[in-house]
Amino acid sequence: MSKLIMFHGRECPHCRAMMPHVDRLIAEGVAIEKLEVWHDEKNADLMRSYRSVIAASCGGQLRVPTFINTEKGEAACGEMPYEKLKAWAQG
Amino acid sequence: MKKRFWRCFVCNDIHWGVKPPEVCPTCRVAHAYVEISAKEAKAILGPQPEPAFAPDDFRRAIAAFAEPNEFKVNPDMERVDLLLSGMFANEQNHGLRYCPCRLRSKDFEEDLKIVCPCNFLVHETYKGVEKGECWCGLFIKR
Repeated sequence: MSKLIMFHGRECPHCRAMMPHVDRLIAEGVAIEKLEVWHDEKNADLMRSYRSVIAASCGGQLRVPTFINTEKGEAACGEMPYEKLKAWAQG
Repeated sequence: MKKRFWRCFVCNDIHWGVKPPEVCPTCRVAHAYVEISAKEAKAILGPQPEPAFAPDDFRRAIAAFAEPNEFKVNPDMERVDLLLSGMFANEQNHGLRYCPCRLRSKDFEEDLKIVCPCNFLVHETYKGVEKGECWCGLFIKR
């Protein structure tokens, strides 16, 4: 089963903007794990472990927010409309 | 190109770069810089007092940095406050004011690219974009 993770930063405005979308998806039954990376090195190291997947979709960098499907090895980053995030999460 | 340390023989300003400044920006003396070792540079800089550099100081610094350029600091003060709180938390926890909207890789040289202000002029969110902004939105095109 695919596992979806949102890597986010506590003081990142893009992450704050996406949080209501993520919470809405979770409320609708989509399993998304939210992991903060600037104040939790364990989470940061986990994000770094997906670097090759993330960099390919995020301008070659580790950016937040990043959404990753660990099963499919797919990532998306930055702000996006709720519908786009939902389509990505269900894709 | 390898950067080296240079010292003004008049006022002891330290410069780190490929070449020394033609004119010392502090004492205005021309051709005043001589190459020195990193050890000497650190010895000169080491005993200097470290004046506090609070978020308001950084706020002034980035406004002065943006003023002659084609971009400005985002007028959304709430956003700027959030970003600055993240940068200063990152400085306290990780050593430098890293962008709160990215993550350091733990490769120091590479991570210098995400110290604010970063070289956002080449980012896809800015270059060639009419209402371009840096990745975190601290700087926006005028």
